Amino acid sequence: MNALEISHLTKRYGLNIAVDDLSLSIKKGEFFGFLGKNGAGKSTTINAITGIARFDEGAINVFGVDVVKDYRNARKLVGLAPQEFNIDIFASPRKILHFMGGFYGMSRTIREPRINELLKRFDLESHAEKEFGMLSGGLKRRVLLARAMVHDPELLILDEPTAGVDVELRHELWGYLQELNEAGKTIILTSHYLEEVELLCSRIAIINKGKLVAIGDKSEFTSGGKRLEHRYLELTRDDVDNKTTK
Amino acid sequence: MKSTSINWIGLQTFVAREMQRCFRVPVQTIITPLLSALFYIFIFGQVLGKTVQNIGGIPYINFVLPGVLMMSVIGAAFAQTSSSLYFHRFTRAIEEILVTPLSHFEMIIGYTLGGIMRGVVVGAGVLVIGVLFGAAGFAHLWWFFFYTVTISTLFALLGVLAGLWAKSFEQIAAPNAFILMPLSFLGGVFNSIAMYPPALQVFARINPFFYFVDGTRYSMTGVREGNTVLGVFIIFAIIALLAALVGYLFHKGWRLRA
Repeated sequence: MNALEISHLTKRYGLNIAVDDLSLSIKKGEFFGFLGKNGAGKSTTINAITGIARFDEGAINVFGVDVVKDYRNARKLVGLAPQEFNIDIFASPRKILHFMGGFYGMSRTIREPRINELLKRFDLESHAEKEFGMLSGGLKRRVLLARAMVHDPELLILDEPTAGVDVELRHELWGYLQELNEAGKTIILTSHYLEEVELLCSRIAIINKGKLVAIGDKSEFTSGGKRLEHRYLELTRDDVDNKTTK
Repeated sequence: MKSTSINWIGLQTFVAREMQRCFRVPVQTIITPLLSALFYIFIFGQVLGKTVQNIGGIPYINFVLPGVLMMSVIGAAFAQTSSSLYFHRFTRAIEEILVTPLSHFEMIIGYTLGGIMRGVVVGAGVLVIGVLFGAAGFAHLWWFFFYTVTISTLFALLGVLAGLWAKSFEQIAAPNAFILMPLSFLGGVFNSIAMYPPALQVFARINPFFYFVDGTRYSMTGVREGNTVLGVFIIFAIIALLAALVGYLFHKGWRLRA
């Protein structure tokens, strides 16, 4: 069973087509890189998967569960660490995790040890009672990751998880994400740091102007001694005729 | 979990979060409306009240208290939901809720219960102030509970609507300044509507706020000017209308889901 199956997804904002007939599938256990320029349609696609945005056409299934028809069960399978700090900035990390776990229907007895585990895992214990707004950029990123994982989702979507994060923490996060992936979690990663994608991801898709322009194993993008960055720039150039390559 | 079953833990957590948000800024949410009520009761009831004849056979301070109490309940319930939802939209913290398995129904109930609870807390505070002034009493206790809860519900739902509609913090304040406050004052908070000129009396009787104030006054003093059955019908009709509208807008994702 695929972890994610997107079929003919189309999302319009008025006359502007943000995502245009996008179809792709991601296998269970994959570490999947989802790339594209700003405004290419990555976040819109993620928003459609997670329920933040409605879509006009197509279907999305997470582990075979339709994200519209059976949204409750679909959303329990997905965790999102967004690019923006979409959070109550006056709440403490502990409260944020506590509320998020509750929204997912986790009882207090299940929630408390899970929160303590995540606070420890992300080295947030000494910051657990501080206001989110008072934390550094790196600590904020960790809180977003912990929040995405509070309900132990099978599919983790990370939208620019290392933006604004220092090198040490970035390496630490990479290690943690690899651990998670090795433990069987499916991960979708969007990032503008292509070396990060090259290091972590086994399969990659590139989206441009709302259309999927390339999808394949990492080796296909880096064959012939090329760097992912070069291939990416070739595929997302404005003058390129965007037809999907595999 | 089936899509039709209730996520009780999620709903309970939602209400707890709303209450935590309310009590995080007690000066703004609780103390300020209580201070306003205190001064209304003191100036209008105690100071001016000595020069005003009894209205409907009750001292002026007893006449004023129910109106001030209901005005405070209305303001608190409306402010809770409108500011909370708008703040969530403004900071995009609403996305944190939208990605969870909470249904639209649970979100609306969660926001509304938060508004009701803040309305009831502020109403209880004004009641205590009334007791301190020797002006609080109950002629019909169950009617008092009925009016406090239903009117809190009504304005909590109206606040949800305002929280969806507003595009700026200034717009959040607009309904209070241009609708709630004028209609409350004209609804007979400080005077009997019989004191109005005839044309204004007609307006007062089609002003729903008159029935909110009049019903509360009836529950506390036994004195009324309006028709109780009509008042109850108006309250339920407005709640049903607002609930349907808010439910529809959440379902459509209006200003919620991009």
